[in-house]
Amino acid sequence: MALTDTRPESGTEAPASAPAVVPSPLTIFGSGDHKAIGTVYVVAALLFGIAGWIISALASAHAISGLEFLSTNAFQTLFTLSRVGLILLVAVPFFLGLATFIVPLQVGARTVAFPRAAAAALWAWLLSSGVLIVANCIDGGIDGGRPKAVALGLLAIAGLVISLVLGTICVLTTAVTMRTPGMRLDRVPMTTWAFLVGGSIWVLTLPALFAEIMLVWVDHRYGAGDTFAADGAQWQAVSWISNQPQVYAFFIPAFGVIADAVATFTGTRLLKRTLLQTTIGAFGVLSLGVFAQTALAPDYDGQPLWIAMSVLIVIPVLLVFALIAPAFKAGKPALQSPLGLSVASLLMVLLAVVGGALLVITPLRLRDSGDLAIGHFNLVIAAALTAAAAGVMYWGPKMIGRRLADGAGKLAVPLFLGGGLLSGLAFFVLGFGNRFTALQDYSDLLLWVSILGDALISLGLFVVLAGLLSGTRQGAPEAGNDPWGTGQTLEWACASPPPTGNFGDLAIVRSPEPLLDEEA
Amino acid sequence: MSAHILPPAPPVQRPRVVVVATAFASAAAVMAFVTLLGVYLNKRASVIEAGSTWLPEGSTIPLQQPNTMLITLIMSVITMAWAVNAISKNDRVNAFLALGFTLVLGIATLVMTTYLWTLMKLDVASGAQGVLIYTITGAHTIMLVLALVFTSLMALRALGGQFNSREHDGMSAAALFWYAMVAVYALIWIIIYVTK
Repeated sequence: MALTDTRPESGTEAPASAPAVVPSPLTIFGSGDHKAIGTVYVVAALLFGIAGWIISALASAHAISGLEFLSTNAFQTLFTLSRVGLILLVAVPFFLGLATFIVPLQVGARTVAFPRAAAAALWAWLLSSGVLIVANCIDGGIDGGRPKAVALGLLAIAGLVISLVLGTICVLTTAVTMRTPGMRLDRVPMTTWAFLVGGSIWVLTLPALFAEIMLVWVDHRYGAGDTFAADGAQWQAVSWISNQPQVYAFFIPAFGVIADAVATFTGTRLLKRTLLQTTIGAFGVLSLGVFAQTALAPDYDGQPLWIAMSVLIVIPVLLVFALIAPAFKAGKPALQSPLGLSVASLLMVLLAVVGGALLVITPLRLRDSGDLAIGHFNLVIAAALTAAAAGVMYWGPKMIGRRLADGAGKLAVPLFLGGGLLSGLAFFVLGFGNRFTALQDYSDLLLWVSILGDALISLGLFVVLAGLLSGTRQGAPEAGNDPWGTGQTLEWACASPPPTGNFGDLAIVRSPEPLLDEEA
Repeated sequence: MSAHILPPAPPVQRPRVVVVATAFASAAAVMAFVTLLGVYLNKRASVIEAGSTWLPEGSTIPLQQPNTMLITLIMSVITMAWAVNAISKNDRVNAFLALGFTLVLGIATLVMTTYLWTLMKLDVASGAQGVLIYTITGAHTIMLVLALVFTSLMALRALGGQFNSREHDGMSAAALFWYAMVAVYALIWIIIYVTK
């Protein structure tokens, strides 16, 4: 839909069997179609992700003895860019893109709410991403050396937050207000539910980041620059989004992708859905980490709330395992890549929350060096991206209209799992260096292991991108409405790719798996 | 591969899309201010604990203007509620009158805020105090301007005959954002202007 066109909700209804049309790249620029917007987010996040993990590897390489190839300033900006970038340029927009694409389809809506605002959010995010990268290239960014470039970088982060929050609000509003008749909130597909939880947490916490960036910017641009914009203080204002519990918020939508993929590929209905929804909600509440920052509470890491949240969050992850496992027993798991990636993601996030729980045990002194926290971040983000990759391989045929080469997805499973474990666990081991001094002799080796892990994740993202693009190859079989044949939710009831307006007439939804009801 | 053709359902209802989106946006804005005010309280406590006064020497925050702004904004809450109530009863004359009053009261608050800045004699470069106070009050001024623009647009739509007793979501949404803006000012009033 071009922005000058009639809004889909007020336009002519599209028949369910309308011919699938892949939009040309040129039409995407003026499009308010949620499918086009979501796809651009996903492709851009994949590209940024490939670069982001390479930057993360470079920052680790600088720490190896004798390899200090960056100035202190350059290292600091590179490190901070890798942390901020992997969240605001990769993990959040990756899930937001998937949600913008799939949530309207899952709830039976003809469009995303406020398509123009969703399109504006996408392009503002892309523009801000470009500005942030340019600012970092010219010695700007957080704690950078060139004042004007630093100001530019700060404004870019503010722009990223505003655009991501705007895009999230569009999807949340779609899920809350535009569900097809009969689809109560307890019947929405798990991806929609998990995005409702995760998106709500983002809307409540990312503005806090915006507020802190504004303080830094005002001090840097108009003030003396010796309080909020002082050296080190800039990173303090931002670093809380990469620490626990806030970093878990960027994983929440992954639970939905995993649950939907497991249901489809085991061919069974998920049991105890309400408990699963409550569990995802509990994980969301326990990831609300806006309080855990030095600007608000200088000694937050000694407070009972932070300790309790860090430990309790293990429970919902274990519960998700327990609630999803019966589907493997009851059904016949199809060995497709989205299922493999989902299981890999769950394993990684379980390790991450256990590591996070260890971090709060003061006698272990794991917070002294910060290494375990770096490994924890790497593991959580790797787990989130693995689930997002599962989403790409799962809904890719719906995006492209043709089946993807599943071999690419299957190759991505060991790349993500191996990459995430090496990247995260190497720093976990380094974190124990304070207690076991012999470990310090192996610190360079462990850093190399972590770099290898970063490279594998980067390669995994490249393979997933290639897998998505494989759907555009000549001779790829058409996806049809439901390429898996076991789809349970409404997105599999429309053509691939869905036509403008998505659906024709839909039945009243009477259960969380309307397509299974229809077949019964 | 199976094609899923489902029997028809009733037409889709689209209730309160603008109101829900505005609620999310208002929650986001409030969280930004809660963070700013949290940092403010934390910083002020550490300065006072160190034995200094919070405001730098020579700076002052008079109470008369903030109090006037608070009363003005409370009045605007009443006029905004009046506007929503009137449009929900199809009473367009009262709705236009109430919206007009709301906009005038909002602009008066805007003018008073800028006047207060000139009275404070506080330099942004004076330290954390200047940065925090100008960032918070400046951000609230931006929120007030956004609320004015939102309300003006809804007023123009009402003038165009778009709202009635059955469908006045746009007006309700503008009112919700307005109330959020006033609630934030109430926090600023007590934390920055009253307890110094």
